[in-house]
Amino acid sequence: MDPRAADDVQRMQQQMLVFARELNEVIARERARRQEAEDALLMLRGSYMEMVKTLAFVVEAKDSTTRSHLDRTYHYARLLTARVGPELLQSASLHYGFLLHDVGKVGIPEAILNKPGPLTDDEWEIMRTHPLIGVQVVSAVKFLGDAVNVIRSHHERWDGKGYPEGLAGEQIHIGARIFSVVDTFDAMTSERPYKKALPVAVAMEEIGRCAGTQFDPDVAREFVQLLEERDLHSTGPTDLAAAL
Amino acid sequence: MAHKRRVLVVDDDELTLQILRTILDLEEFDVTTVPDGERALQLLAGDARFDAVVLDVMMPGIDGFEVCQRIRHDPRTAGLPVVLLTARDLDEDRARGEQVGCDAYLTKPFSPLQLIDELGDLVARGRRPPEE
Repeated sequence: MDPRAADDVQRMQQQMLVFARELNEVIARERARRQEAEDALLMLRGSYMEMVKTLAFVVEAKDSTTRSHLDRTYHYARLLTARVGPELLQSASLHYGFLLHDVGKVGIPEAILNKPGPLTDDEWEIMRTHPLIGVQVVSAVKFLGDAVNVIRSHHERWDGKGYPEGLAGEQIHIGARIFSVVDTFDAMTSERPYKKALPVAVAMEEIGRCAGTQFDPDVAREFVQLLEERDLHSTGPTDLAAAL
Repeated sequence: MAHKRRVLVVDDDELTLQILRTILDLEEFDVTTVPDGERALQLLAGDARFDAVVLDVMMPGIDGFEVCQRIRHDPRTAGLPVVLLTARDLDEDRARGEQVGCDAYLTKPFSPLQLIDELGDLVARGRRPPEE
């Protein structure tokens, strides 16, 4: 090789070395930036969840009859979803929906929410507006996604006799079908000013009995199985959430 | 950015031209390459408008110092940002570069990041006002 060509080759080799070093630098920098972005995203998701929980708890605090209802139903709903459709838990929106299901109660007078006895027909009519009030409340919050369906439809019934829209069967969003079961179960197993808590075994039987009428039969069956597997027939309502 | 930043790259080595084009393309410069000083000066004297010039120093014919000097002496291009790129890292060359009025002087092997930074800064700063 003539000396000039050898010189060129050496120069190119040196240039390649510089490129390789810079490439490393750039990759390291990009990696750090990606990590930063991922950390920020994680924190943002955490903040979303905290805000949603805060909003949900603020609304629950208005309703003195339903202490800890939110904690319990959120817990049951996630357990049940894990059986019915685990993939549904991957998006945060269903979690938001479970937490915010009753956010519309913010628009219901406290005299009705906290009435120490059964509601009159007129009062029920007002009470039944809470799902659509809830939809309105969160309508501007885009990140909630499917959560809106749980808020809107958690009082629908499989046989179409529910409210607010009288949807039936699979017209009702799966998140709402799931939530409806655990919501009812919790209402039955909780004490209210005007009623005692039902034993778990009785509530379970009732859920099974209403499979296919009030509830999606598959969802109801899964819930009964969930309770049976954990042998909760004899558990009292107070330690139920802890046991599940 | 309103328009793509246009850069004229002058080097007699085809591989170096391709490398520079690749690097500058990635940074979204609009790159024109020519293999010698004569063609560079022709282009600059014509209608083509450039935001900066990257000049190899050692080229057959008119070398980079000379091209830079002529750019400075032509009132139409006097304020154009010029980066000299050379294999020679000698004090006298650096001094010569300053003397002919280059804006930045990079030695080969050159650092792409440094080139991108220098060029970006120079283009953002724009053409120099004519000297007194």
